[in-house]
Amino acid sequence: AGVRVDGSGDAEAGRASCPGRCRCELDGLLLRVDCSDLELRAVPSDLSVFTSYLDLSMNNMTLISAGALSSLHFLQELRLPGNDLSFIPKGAFAGLYNLKVLMLQNNQLRSVPAEAFNNLHNLQSLRLDANHISGVPAGSFSGLRSLRHLWLDDNALTEVPAEALSELPALQAMTLALNHIRHVPDHAFSALGRLVVLHLNNNRIVSMGTNCFHGLHSLETLDLNYNQLMEFPTAIRSLRHLKELGFHSNKIQSIPDHAFTGNPSLTTVFFYDNPIQSVGRTAFQNLPELRTLSLNGAAELNEFPDLTGTRSLESLTITGARITSLPTSVCEQLPNLQLLDLSYNQIQSLPSFSACESLQKLDLHHNEVEALEENTFTGLTSLRFLDLSWNRLSTVKPNGFSALPALNRLDLSSNQLSSLPLSGLQTLTHLRLAGNGQLMELIAREDLPRVRWMELPYAFQCCAFISCDRKGGSSWEKEEAVEAAGRDAAVLSSQAEPDWEDFLMEFEDGPKPQHAVHCSPTPGPLRPCRHLLG
Amino acid sequence: TEGPPSCPKGCDRCSEYNGCVKCKPKLFIFLERNDIRQVGVCLASCPVGYFGMRNPEGNNRCTQCKIDNCEACFNRNFCTKCKEGLYSHSGRCYVSCPPGQRTANETMEC
Repeated sequence: AGVRVDGSGDAEAGRASCPGRCRCELDGLLLRVDCSDLELRAVPSDLSVFTSYLDLSMNNMTLISAGALSSLHFLQELRLPGNDLSFIPKGAFAGLYNLKVLMLQNNQLRSVPAEAFNNLHNLQSLRLDANHISGVPAGSFSGLRSLRHLWLDDNALTEVPAEALSELPALQAMTLALNHIRHVPDHAFSALGRLVVLHLNNNRIVSMGTNCFHGLHSLETLDLNYNQLMEFPTAIRSLRHLKELGFHSNKIQSIPDHAFTGNPSLTTVFFYDNPIQSVGRTAFQNLPELRTLSLNGAAELNEFPDLTGTRSLESLTITGARITSLPTSVCEQLPNLQLLDLSYNQIQSLPSFSACESLQKLDLHHNEVEALEENTFTGLTSLRFLDLSWNRLSTVKPNGFSALPALNRLDLSSNQLSSLPLSGLQTLTHLRLAGNGQLMELIAREDLPRVRWMELPYAFQCCAFISCDRKGGSSWEKEEAVEAAGRDAAVLSSQAEPDWEDFLMEFEDGPKPQHAVHCSPTPGPLRPCRHLLG
Repeated sequence: TEGPPSCPKGCDRCSEYNGCVKCKPKLFIFLERNDIRQVGVCLASCPVGYFGMRNPEGNNRCTQCKIDNCEACFNRNFCTKCKEGLYSHSGRCYVSCPPGQRTANETMEC
């Protein structure tokens, strides 16, 4: 650990001299100097030649004169953020042969200094973010053969500084985010063969050359989020090692066939908040590493996509489209599926999901399913959550739910059921059947031994789960009062009524020791337990 | 223009209990742990183990690096400085270089 040296400026100590009011720390033979936040107007003149780290952040410096740091041959990190530097002359960093990290963010630069950085051969990280840079002169990065990390985000660039970038053969990570770039030309990054991360998010990119990513052989992360792209960026086709791609929050209306054919390593792709209407049936084929796919509102999509070769998918969400049926081979194609959300489509019949052994959550609400067959859910030993609400279910075969040992949440509300086979539902903790007007049969408590939360079509069906004849018989009045108060409270805060999401949270804590059952509609004087209609 | 007198440097809006809640433009807010409290401070660059995430609304935040054995990162998944003695390759830190990669000891890279 460093040895603290006070700021009294002990000249004899030579190596240990610390400029007035700065805080210094010996680090082996070298010295770490912190002169941040001292309202300094210039670089301290009495810096030790053995300074390896110099922090001049948050001062009032407007200029670094040529040669001001030239004796600091051991300096590895120079921090100058939060000053008022609007110009840096040639020679300002002369002599800094070992400089690795240079921080100039949050200053007043309007252009990258044309020559100040030249020949900093060991520089690895250069921060120029949060200035007012609108231009990067050709040659300004000349000699930076070791530069790995470049920050140019939060500036005023209107174009990609392709020529200047071409002198950075070792660059691995770069951000041009939060600028005003409108177009990415062909070959903009062609010399950046070692670039792994490229952030272009929050620009105004409307168009991209089809070869604009040519040369980016090592790129793994590409961020195009929050731009104005109208077309799918087909230029990504050349990015063979791409793992993470984001182009959400753009204006893209369609994803073409074979869209990701050149990106076999893709694990994550985000494209929500685009007005996507159509999706090529083969758009998501042959993505063996893709884990999650989410597509919402593609109104012109009327066929389930062909996901051949995309076997590692664990979460698939396609909502708000016009899918009418699923291929019988859906589970063979997606053996690792854990979550399938196809809500808000027009699915009329279901295949057998039995090969989807890892499926935990199946969301099919707001479709047009009419019947559940014996084998629809057979073999789904991991299924915990099944939502078929808002369909046209009128028939459920006797053993329709019999082989679901992990199922604890079932929502069949708003369908046309007149009967419900309970075989296999012993593990249920939450059941919704409201909105099935013809379902009048009584449900025996022993058929649902672990249920804790129920919404049934009629109050009398709750009687089996809420003991109606309480001691003293006054509990109705008390309950009525509590319910009335509850309703008033509900008017004030919409979350007073327990809804499905709250109970998803409750589910995480595991079953309650005390087995109280919430059942609605609650029976009461106006909704007696005895079913008057016989 | 200085923030309210009681606010720390670089802060536009603060509360007595939580420190800074909104920093001046271009700075990053960092939630420093203070016993059970989290106190907001405004920084020009984020501390070790964090990177600065900028956004158009100016709510720039210090966000934790998610890479094992990393001291400084470019974004959540790309390390710019590995801990002492570890090798860096494509933004990750390794005790020894992955198969097929040659070791460059002078820069501790594969």
